[in-house]
Amino acid sequence: MRSTFHGLETARRGMTTQQSALYVTGHNISNANTPGYSRQRVNFEQTESYPAPSMNSPMMPGQLGTGVQAGSIERVREDFLDKQYRNENSKTGYWSSRSEALEKMEEIMNEPSDSGLSITLDRFWQSLQDLSVQPEDPGARSVVLERGRAVAETFNFLSDSLTAIQNDFKDQINITVDHANSLSRQINNINKQISEIEPHGYLPNDLYDERDRLIDELSEIVDIKVTRLQSGGTPNKSAEGIFKVEMVDKTGNPIGDLVTANELAGKPGVIDGNSMGSIPLAIQNPTDPTAIQNFDTTTGLVKSISLGGTEISIDSFNTNGKLRSLIDSYGYMENGKEVGLYPEMLSELDLLAKSFAEAFNSQHKAGHDLSGNVGGNFFFDDGTEIDAKNIKLDPTITKETIAAAVTDKPGDGENALLLANVKDNLTINNVKTSVNAYYEGVIGDMAVNSQEATRLSANSGVLRDSVEQRRQSVSAVSIDEEMTNMIKFQHAYNASARNITIIDEMLDTIINGLGVGGR
Amino acid sequence: MRVTQSMLTNNMLKNLSQSYSRLDKYQDQLSTGKKINRPSDDPVVAMKGMNYRTDLTEIEQYQRNLSEAYNWMENTDSAYDKGTSALQRIRELVVQASNDTYEGDQRRLIAVEIKELTDHLESIANTKVGNKYIFNGSDTTSAPVNLDDINLPIENLDPDATGFVVTYQGNEYLHSGGFTFKNGTDIIEITDPAGTPSATLEGTPIEIKDLIVSKQSAVPTDVQEVKIELSKGVNIVVNSNPTNSFNATFFSDLKEIISKLENSSSGEEISDSLDTIDNHLTNITSERAVMGARYNRVELIEDRLGTQEVIANKMLSNNEDADIERVITDLKIQESIHRAALGVGARIVQPSLLDFLR
Repeated sequence: MRSTFHGLETARRGMTTQQSALYVTGHNISNANTPGYSRQRVNFEQTESYPAPSMNSPMMPGQLGTGVQAGSIERVREDFLDKQYRNENSKTGYWSSRSEALEKMEEIMNEPSDSGLSITLDRFWQSLQDLSVQPEDPGARSVVLERGRAVAETFNFLSDSLTAIQNDFKDQINITVDHANSLSRQINNINKQISEIEPHGYLPNDLYDERDRLIDELSEIVDIKVTRLQSGGTPNKSAEGIFKVEMVDKTGNPIGDLVTANELAGKPGVIDGNSMGSIPLAIQNPTDPTAIQNFDTTTGLVKSISLGGTEISIDSFNTNGKLRSLIDSYGYMENGKEVGLYPEMLSELDLLAKSFAEAFNSQHKAGHDLSGNVGGNFFFDDGTEIDAKNIKLDPTITKETIAAAVTDKPGDGENALLLANVKDNLTINNVKTSVNAYYEGVIGDMAVNSQEATRLSANSGVLRDSVEQRRQSVSAVSIDEEMTNMIKFQHAYNASARNITIIDEMLDTIINGLGVGGR
Repeated sequence: MRVTQSMLTNNMLKNLSQSYSRLDKYQDQLSTGKKINRPSDDPVVAMKGMNYRTDLTEIEQYQRNLSEAYNWMENTDSAYDKGTSALQRIRELVVQASNDTYEGDQRRLIAVEIKELTDHLESIANTKVGNKYIFNGSDTTSAPVNLDDINLPIENLDPDATGFVVTYQGNEYLHSGGFTFKNGTDIIEITDPAGTPSATLEGTPIEIKDLIVSKQSAVPTDVQEVKIELSKGVNIVVNSNPTNSFNATFFSDLKEIISKLENSSSGEEISDSLDTIDNHLTNITSERAVMGARYNRVELIEDRLGTQEVIANKMLSNNEDADIERVITDLKIQESIHRAALGVGARIVQPSLLDFLR
């Protein structure tokens, strides 16, 4: 037989559960603008009906409902979208960082413009033409000298600026590695907290959100793969467990763990609490010569990265993400060769400066100066290789010692003409070319690279955003929805309260109204 | 699909920022007048742009060289023109003086005028343009002619013939040790210049009086051509070969005429000189003709450079200049889209269910 006060308990359960739902709604509304927050919902569950089937259960016309309880509070989220998001985020991280690096390079090269290397070389050519027409004119000679200096200084400027930016990338690599390490440490900490809560059957939704947000952030730096392991104890069915985060390459093969978590022996899928930890990435030049050297000692470029105490070659570190892109921009060693956006551009400039200066010097030495003496070096050459960084005028060259003449006559400007034409008859890497054509090729390569990076950065950005859109569609808080829910829960709460009043009146009838007949 | 407020605001912000970036692009294009700002905007346009710029610089430089070429050629021509008039006046005077009715004093007066004209011709040969002597090959810093050191007595060669040059039948023989003078492979040898001089050309004896002895610094000896590049690989000679016109023979012949007039030679002897004067006139005229033909060629090159400049400018402009009408139209369209985006954003973001709940 049911209890007289049964209805009171049912209504009370209704009130508390609706109240919990209202509080969760309040939590949702408060966090409507919190990054990484997923809306939560209360899983309403009916409580066990009365009577429970058993030997001594009372016979009743039917099972009577006993009300509602909040089964669990769960976040609304789809793992599959997280996976997609992280995948696209790594690509976006790679391409947008690459596109930024190339943009900076384009700004430095400053072509096509009226102030780049190309126009400086043209002006130098012009001054030599002027000299060939007026070889005895001191003015024309001074102009050649100054424009020659401008060519050398433009090479110096380009080389210095590129090197400065390249060194910035080195700093950025270190900062990015530190950031990645901080993220893995935080993920590991959250893992530990979760592993302490879940065994009790609770769902630490807000920790889940925070962990997902950190993993999203980590995915921008390197390609990662997340594996779940179940907590010990008696976790809730919806518990997400502990995340093991691995660094993977572009094809999905693991490179190494960032956040470790291993299975307990004999219990597949369950976490061994002692195995949780984070492994730091490192890329630095330790002063200790026995330690792993991540930078090449001669070129200073990246050779490898370290994960924990293990050295990972750049070849195996073939991932998407910002870190790899920074290494690509800064430069790395591949089979003893310098590879990378900036080192390659620098070596092209070095090659151009060297070829031009050497060809120019040899033509200059074939001529005669104003006093009829055989010409010397125009660009400084002491036997060490000329490059874009060190190219400068020979300190002994003056306007009188410019060898403009083929013969020893002051009015002969034929060598100046030959000097002017040096830029059109250059041999670079055993290919006959001209300075302009070669430089155009260099700029063209850079432009195409940059265009590709910008396009792919935009494309992967669009993909990432569309995944994010879908994720938002599932997880984001809708104020309207929450308002509607609030009213829904309020009504249910009010109705439960009214139910109590009605039961109260009913009990009043029983207690105060019954058994007073004849009074 | 479930759509939430935060999705709407995020999308609005994203779309607005895209719209701003498009507006930024049009603003760049309008304010720079260029289609592209960085090579990656369009690598092909960028590379072509560099190429066309170099082409244009070259054409501009050739045009600059052109004016220098004209400077040389016009000054040379005008010098020859003045030289011809002076020579013609000398011819008239010689014709006049060859009349035997003229007496010694009258002939001497004519000699005075011819002397002045000879000095004038010397100064024409020493014409300087800017800082350069134009009738001395590529040795442009020293004067080609010094009248005083032309046609010196042969005993000046003794004891040292260094720095002297001997002219025979219009050819110049440069000193090459001892009393030997050389023109190409031909050698003139002089013996005993101070006593009883005699000379041989390639072993054959020649008359001493036919030799003109001058200081090398006093006659133009440099035959190197002065070339100016007027198009890629097209080098035009802009000077005239001075040894063909204002050479030692020219000035020594004039000196000869003066001395004939001063020394009361017969009219017949004087009129013999007319042939030499005619010869020199022909020489100058033929040099002028050569110069004139070349001048025509330079004018043709100038025409072509002018056309090339227009074409190169047009190519450069077509390649990278923004089509302003088009950009403005695009900008206007983008502006209305932007306004619409702002308007619609403002309307969508504001209301929520809250506004309607009582």
